[in-house]
Amino acid sequence: MKKIFAIVLFFISAFSFAQAPSGYKPVKDTSAFKQKMEAQSKLITSLESDFTQEKYLSVMSEKIISKGHFHFKKVNMLRWEYNEPYKYLIAINKDKMFIKDNGKVSKYDINSNKMFKSINEMMVNTVQGNLLNSKDYKAKFFENDKFYLLELTPLQKGAKDFLKVIQLYINKVDYAVDKVKMIEPSDDYTSIDFTNRKTNQPIADEKFIIK
Amino acid sequence: MKNLLLSSFIAILFSACHFGHYGRLKEINECYYLATNLKPLFGDNFNSFLFKTNITVYGKDYSGLLVTKQMSPKDYRVIFTTELGMKLFDFEFKDTAFTLHYCVPQFNKPKLLKVIQKDIETLLMNDLDKKTFLKFNDSKMFYSIHKTKIGKLEYYYFTENTTEHLVKIEHAKKRRKKTTFTLSNYQNDFPGNILIQHHDIKLKIELNLLKK
Repeated sequence: MKKIFAIVLFFISAFSFAQAPSGYKPVKDTSAFKQKMEAQSKLITSLESDFTQEKYLSVMSEKIISKGHFHFKKVNMLRWEYNEPYKYLIAINKDKMFIKDNGKVSKYDINSNKMFKSINEMMVNTVQGNLLNSKDYKAKFFENDKFYLLELTPLQKGAKDFLKVIQLYINKVDYAVDKVKMIEPSDDYTSIDFTNRKTNQPIADEKFIIK
Repeated sequence: MKNLLLSSFIAILFSACHFGHYGRLKEINECYYLATNLKPLFGDNFNSFLFKTNITVYGKDYSGLLVTKQMSPKDYRVIFTTELGMKLFDFEFKDTAFTLHYCVPQFNKPKLLKVIQKDIETLLMNDLDKKTFLKFNDSKMFYSIHKTKIGKLEYYYFTENTTEHLVKIEHAKKRRKKTTFTLSNYQNDFPGNILIQHHDIKLKIELNLLKK
């Protein structure tokens, strides 16, 4: 009997161990972590950073790498701009969304389109590290000595079709998001690394109006 | 006299209709033959190609990145993602077989998928070596034109005589053009820009090469 119990225990522990990505262990006090995250994000009024986006497609031998810069300002203003190897810009200004592509600017009302609304929520919340409060995702918390790793699994059917899990790597120094990885059901993924971050520097509102 | 004028006018009108868009082409070889100078553009040592891409369909604009990858001599994978990385479709073309690996609902419409599939197939030129062609010249001798028939469609391939670059492909039905593929800005024997313009439906696909 004891043997069976030991085997069951082994499998349970092995299973729970397998749940944590390698090099990470589950966060014990998740509510303390959440509180700290929220307190930190409240301190942020503006944010800007370079980013490098990698698209991994299993059939391709190389990743598709694009680079750019983003600006964020509270409340709900975001400028997300690709500079290499192409020019493409998305800006969100409260309930308006602008896309500049091939020199042509298109303007959209975010509330008029479900897809734009979810793009907006996802981008703004990702930048702010706010996705952990969303009811649309189930959150799991892991950590190693440098990062907290937040794994968010989408709960809504539409999102589940193209997204298996979002991983947010949050550094333990200032609770900022250093890396986002969006993994598709096929295990292809998009990862975005943030570098040269500047917090609470003045950013003119004009940055978020595209002409 | 009036009748003569009218009948000549009708005759001209009819002959214009009959020759349609391709009336000016001069057939230079009546025998069917295998076109050896039409080489598949994307068949380049299993390399991949990356394009900044815009697909405009009935007023809706989808922009993103299109990647092609030759997996084996006649097997290509073609994937379209948004700039932000979201996959929109994932196609495979193996010989003449087509596999839909993935597709978002916006593209998952049988007619639209079929049209995009045909357009990409045209560019991949997978079954070109099995076809026989008629060869023409245009009146100014700028181009060599190869014509073949696939299903109900006539395919015209326009090759520039000076550079031997494939600069235009046209799909036509009863000699009326349905789709024009314009290939321009050649660098290292590969077009920097490909524009696919449909004439009978509101669909335009623009491919701008980012990386080879």
